Amino acid sequence: MNPSTDEPQLKILCEDINKTFIQKGHIEVPVIRDINLQVAENEFLVVLGPGQCGKSTLLRIIAGLERPDTGYVALDGFPITGPGPDRGVVFQGYMLFAWRTVLGNVEMGLKLRGVPARERRSVARHYIRLVGLEDFENHYPHQLSGGMKQRVGIARAYANSPKVMLLDEPFGQLDAQTRMFMQHETVRIWEQEKRTVIFVTNNIDEALFLADRIILMEGKLPGRIKQEYVVNLPRPRDHEDPGLLKLRTTIAAATELVL
Amino acid sequence: MSSSIANETVAATSGQEGFSFYRLVTNIYFLYAVSLCTFFLLWDRVAAWQVFGDSLARPHAVAGKLYDLSQVKFAGTNLAGHIWASTRRVLVGFTLASAIAVPLGLFMALNKYVNAVVKPIFDLFKPMPPIAWVSISILWFGVGEFSKIFIIAIGTFVPCLLNSYNGIRLIEPELYDVIRVLGGNRKDEILQVSFPASFPAIFAGLQISLSIAWTCLLAAELMNARNGMGFLIKRGMDTHQPALVLGGMVLIALMAWLSSLLISRIESRLCPWKRSIDNL
Repeated sequence: MNPSTDEPQLKILCEDINKTFIQKGHIEVPVIRDINLQVAENEFLVVLGPGQCGKSTLLRIIAGLERPDTGYVALDGFPITGPGPDRGVVFQGYMLFAWRTVLGNVEMGLKLRGVPARERRSVARHYIRLVGLEDFENHYPHQLSGGMKQRVGIARAYANSPKVMLLDEPFGQLDAQTRMFMQHETVRIWEQEKRTVIFVTNNIDEALFLADRIILMEGKLPGRIKQEYVVNLPRPRDHEDPGLLKLRTTIAAATELVL
Repeated sequence: MSSSIANETVAATSGQEGFSFYRLVTNIYFLYAVSLCTFFLLWDRVAAWQVFGDSLARPHAVAGKLYDLSQVKFAGTNLAGHIWASTRRVLVGFTLASAIAVPLGLFMALNKYVNAVVKPIFDLFKPMPPIAWVSISILWFGVGEFSKIFIIAIGTFVPCLLNSYNGIRLIEPELYDVIRVLGGNRKDEILQVSFPASFPAIFAGLQISLSIAWTCLLAAELMNARNGMGFLIKRGMDTHQPALVLGGMVLIALMAWLSSLLISRIESRLCPWKRSIDNL
């Protein structure tokens, strides 16, 4: 809000977020409780926690796809009331439009916002190049591998020029090797096109490799923030780095379930 | 890299050039030929030995009968006329039914109020086999064209509606989330996700409907008709000409296959993104 200070600008603010789901009409399942979170501009925040700890729900609340029962969520000081193109989302299950080519998928956001065809084509091509799929822009999703599909998902979110990128376990369906490669790619892409990133994962090594800061969630519902860790290491990181391994031990000790 | 692997495969197989019994009996096309020859030979022998008395014509007799029909008029119409009479009934009934059932199914899936109004009535009629309508439609509409078209339309309506309805109901809800986070509204969700995603299911419904349409046509024509392929079969039965009966059957199968091929062609034109699955 105040560009004259050296303090990093606050991008996302969550205050006292609570969310309870109603199952089968009457059973109340508290999903997240008392979440307070601040994310600075261009910060890479990783939310780390096992399955079923409410971390995806938190992301969906920030995306505007769910409304919190109580609490306040804001982007650049304006309350979030619904989904919008200022927040790009990458989904775990890729969620590509099977009936559109890579190019058609990536330019969808621009199309929905009424950008003329020529302009959206050139923007889409820029991001397709950024994720390294320039030779595949006329392919359909079913012709792509899992890693390539998620590249399309990332390019599609980027093409809308969001202020914040929200990634919900984006590499959860990939094999270990592809996953590691995609983590390198994520760092490369993020360094070329800096954005505020909130990245949800259940993988401690992925978190350590990517994050400026790690939010560790408690291992069971309702999801609470258990601990926060700043990862102050230069990128690209080495999984074998002693500083990283030390932090890994600390985080693993704080985690009740083996992640 | 993949091309070098392919080259190695080619080199490996070309090393085993030359005739071998094993290679012959594992050749798919050879097996196709064996399978078909055996079938026709068996048919011919069963007919020649009169296993079913004189009620089974030999294959060449059926082919000869079809050739004769194409040369002279039969019951006032030539062969093309009979084929066209049946095809027209299927075409009109099928088009009429699908033009109503497909949009109705989409509306039902997209709007719960439309669904609440239409579904109870639809569920009432759904389990009724279409052939059950033959008699009542003759009572209502007589024996003319309309009662035949009516039966076909009734029979094709149900699968058309069910498939377009399910096509939308089975869409991954997160795909709508994608449209919303990209800045789209409800209209975009329907135009960019609901409609294109339901296309393959709609076409599957059309394929099922089409095969039911030919079944209904045959039922209607066997009951009462003055032309058409069902009429040929019926006349063949009444005058004890097994070659004519089988000829009519072959023709109907041929037309049903051709029309299903046409729908497949239209589908692959409209949905180039669909993973191709081998047709059975």
